[in-house]
Amino acid sequence: MLADRDKVLQGRDVWVPTVCAGCYNCCGVLAHRVDGRIVEVKGDPDAANSRGYICAKGLVRALDVHHPNRVKKPLKRTNPEKGIGVDPGWKEITWEEAMAISVEALQKVRAKDPRGLILSHFDIAGYRLSGAFGRAFGTVNMHWNRADYCGSASHPAWLITNGTLNSEVDFPNCKYVILWGTQLGHMVNTISLSASSELAEGRRHGHKLVVVDPFCSNAASKADEWLPVKPGTDGALALVMLHVMVNELGIYDVPFLKGQTNGPYLVKAGGHYLRDEATKKPLIWDAKDGRAKPFDAPDLADPAIEGAFTVAGAAVKPAFQVVKDHLLAIDVEEMSRICTVPLEQIRRVTREFCETASIGSTIDVDGHTLPFRPVGIDYKRGMAAHKGGMNSCFAIHMLNLLVGAVDVPGGQRGVNPIGPYWTAGMSSDGLIIPSDFIAKYNKPYPGRKASIPQTLDLQELFPVALFTRGLYPLGIDEPEKYGIPYKAEAMIHGRTNHMMNSHDPAAMAETLKKLTFQLSIVQFIDETAEFADIILPDAHDFERWDMFPANDPYAFIAPGPGEWYFLFRQPVAEPPGDAKPWTEIYMELAERLGILQDIYALGNDMWNLGAEYKIDPAKKHTLRDIAERQARTIFGSGFKLENIKTTSASVLRKKTIQEAYPRMFLPSRVPIYLEYLLDHRTDVQAVLDKLGFDWDLSTYSPVPHWIPCEAHAHGGGFDLIATNNKVPTHQFSTTTENMWIDEVARANPYTYHVMMHTSAAATRGLKTGDLVCVESKYGKYTGRLRVTELVHPESVNCSGSFGHWAQGLPVSRKKGVMHNALLPKPTLDRIDTLSGQIDQCVAVKVYKVGD
Amino acid sequence: MARYGMVVDLKRCVGCNACVVACKSEHNTPNGILFTTVLEKEMGTFPHCNRVFVPVLCNHCDVPVCAQVCPTKATHKRADGIVFIEYAKCIGCCACIEHCPYHVRTLVQDNRMLYPDGTTAFEKPVAQQILNKVATKCDLCYHRVETGRLPACVEVCPTKARVFGDLADASSEANRLVKEHGGWQMLPEKQTQPCVFYIG
Repeated sequence: MLADRDKVLQGRDVWVPTVCAGCYNCCGVLAHRVDGRIVEVKGDPDAANSRGYICAKGLVRALDVHHPNRVKKPLKRTNPEKGIGVDPGWKEITWEEAMAISVEALQKVRAKDPRGLILSHFDIAGYRLSGAFGRAFGTVNMHWNRADYCGSASHPAWLITNGTLNSEVDFPNCKYVILWGTQLGHMVNTISLSASSELAEGRRHGHKLVVVDPFCSNAASKADEWLPVKPGTDGALALVMLHVMVNELGIYDVPFLKGQTNGPYLVKAGGHYLRDEATKKPLIWDAKDGRAKPFDAPDLADPAIEGAFTVAGAAVKPAFQVVKDHLLAIDVEEMSRICTVPLEQIRRVTREFCETASIGSTIDVDGHTLPFRPVGIDYKRGMAAHKGGMNSCFAIHMLNLLVGAVDVPGGQRGVNPIGPYWTAGMSSDGLIIPSDFIAKYNKPYPGRKASIPQTLDLQELFPVALFTRGLYPLGIDEPEKYGIPYKAEAMIHGRTNHMMNSHDPAAMAETLKKLTFQLSIVQFIDETAEFADIILPDAHDFERWDMFPANDPYAFIAPGPGEWYFLFRQPVAEPPGDAKPWTEIYMELAERLGILQDIYALGNDMWNLGAEYKIDPAKKHTLRDIAERQARTIFGSGFKLENIKTTSASVLRKKTIQEAYPRMFLPSRVPIYLEYLLDHRTDVQAVLDKLGFDWDLSTYSPVPHWIPCEAHAHGGGFDLIATNNKVPTHQFSTTTENMWIDEVARANPYTYHVMMHTSAAATRGLKTGDLVCVESKYGKYTGRLRVTELVHPESVNCSGSFGHWAQGLPVSRKKGVMHNALLPKPTLDRIDTLSGQIDQCVAVKVYKVGD
Repeated sequence: MARYGMVVDLKRCVGCNACVVACKSEHNTPNGILFTTVLEKEMGTFPHCNRVFVPVLCNHCDVPVCAQVCPTKATHKRADGIVFIEYAKCIGCCACIEHCPYHVRTLVQDNRMLYPDGTTAFEKPVAQQILNKVATKCDLCYHRVETGRLPACVEVCPTKARVFGDLADASSEANRLVKEHGGWQMLPEKQTQPCVFYIG
């Protein structure tokens, strides 16, 4: 039964405003409830992120609520054997019994070593709750989820430059957009509805779109120019573009580099900054009076970004000069050959980008004269999920940085680095640091101190990463190898499917079998829940209250000009049977474990609660009560959740110009040279030496390199590189279970197929419709071939992560294919040693297995 | 008199299929029946190639062949231009399905939306219940249009790729877009005079 059920909006025929969780974007929706049943969903016209629109994934959610295979009662495993295809022998039990078994198992783990518990929920609005639960329980192992899918390599590049988690482009003003391994503005990725609206408007007005992708995605199909890069060679392409920009065209934003970046910081031989002896501040060469001064010296008149100088006997160069020299050494012909994009085309695109940047132009906004840089590059998982992911991300991002198209009108922008109750900070070296609100414990810059791992995802070996959650299987399987002083024992799991979204399912099965107790809180018994010991029925997100706001502001409020709007997720209907929201189940477990008061105490610190809205740990509080306190902290004491009846969005106020375009208002600078990596490298090396590991740490370079993937050194007949693409109708592996989405996918010529280029198919004697096996050294999948021009000839491609096999998923079983089945459990040659990103491309052979 | 129609802007459409699903939801169409789809047409050769996303639906022709061949007048053109099927009058003879040059009509074999285990998804109240053994297709959301609302596929489109309006009204946005961008119709040689125009 739902807590605060009496506060659910009443009426026989009513549209309840709430927040969609069909993906992570938190779009405002209105859900139509008639006689207690949810019958349809539409966009909320008053929610600024969705503007009355809604995507296919959101529309279909009314159907999910009524799926006949939803888990409605607690279940207990009776077959102790676990494995793929093994019948767990589910037995329906009472809620009390399920709780008693779970609490006893968790208490045992806690008594032994609380770190033996892994919390594994992908639910962004709920992180603050599961995070508090984890801390109260005493575990450091939290949020094991689909992160290896996502932005381990790309988020750090934005955090160290934009000072925030996510990136976007000022589409209304941007005249030349490059989307690189992402389909932002094509109903996927972040802020999808408003970004898609804005980009479509831009296309109508003649703005140019270039898409870099090995597959001609929806975005590439809409582009003016598609650059089909060979998978995993994006860094090579970016380096050529940087070289062309800096050394051939000589087009870069000098005032921006001087005033807004560490381009003028003097660098010694060996790569470190030249620092002031007394203050340790990095020094800058002032060309006006010909001497070095601290970067923040008030009399700094003309910072040099080029040249070579001698200071106190030391030969030094400005960081920008070091970058320039590094790029000069790039063999552009070789890099062009590697990425397979012709050099002349790269030169032309770079020139168009640089010229459209209109360096020197300004725009007046709200009485402020700001740089106008109508070019921007956004990049994400497609190019980032490779061996050298972070280096490639930074190389691409430098194209934005060097023309000054960062957080100014027209350019690339971070998603809300400053807001009504948070702001970006500055390091002692004068560089931008994200607010604690955005990244408290895991800032990639300045970073943490490397040490022997204490966390099962080995994050201590990646001190400048944001998260390394894809590495959990390594810590679970072999803790002693990494010096972890305890073993994984139990997992509370839900809303993420490790078996489908990681790597070779057989290897993942072995990992899950190492856990002595798995509690899965799920709506459907998917491939991961099949390994559970106890299953508790989860509510649909249209059946729950959530913390406030549902849309974390640094990720899910549209950046740039506009309003600060905060969305409230409230239940539209009650969950069926014994189902409860996973968040409430966490609270119930906490109470029975005796840690509820600790959670409240931690929450007072973690949940953005104003002094007058702190909670009394001695009393019990529902999620709605906590949400109301959070809302009042933002909106004031008069704010009542019960008044949220027509729209889930509450607008605080208009954004200021400083919030919309923060760069020129921030005191901090942006790094174009990652000097801080040098000391981290030394630290990591020392830890690795203790562990006896030999890792390649060349990734810790202040200037970006291209690092080949394991797939590039293929042999033994593995002559194609497999990747996957994202389609706008699907989210992760969950949407295939929806009948409407499945219908659209089946009608689509690509979604459930294996895509191979015409020439590659001809060589192998394959044709459209053939049943083919795609096989790597680590695994394989079988699917129907679609011969097409839309894929790089050296690559084979499929959509999403499909091909379910769980009995509990009748609609999606055996539909489409699962790229991740081709991947091994992460090995060192497939992990970015800088960011912890896992390489998602793999060498394969493709052969026919049937007509 | 009004001549309701639609302008589809191919420049704006990104192939997200929100319209397809919105229509499905609005009409609660049975398994396998979509009143509108987004065709994906592959064009060109690598690397100068792409997919063109082409939303298609009933063209609500000014000269509807389907209505001409319907023996029971179940299919008829309304005064506002909407080509409408009155399911109660349809005998499922399929003449309209055979004659529609655009292949947008389907014979309903089973009017339910079923899960693999035979469970019905849910009973959503709809304007006109789809019956068994009748021809069915897009009704331009006549029930919404009559009350001043936009068709479901138009309302939902995040890129404004579908514009609904009165093509006979020179001041309507739809009329303006057709004129400004040289709107074209599908299979003009069939002389059916579709009320769905394409631009972009």
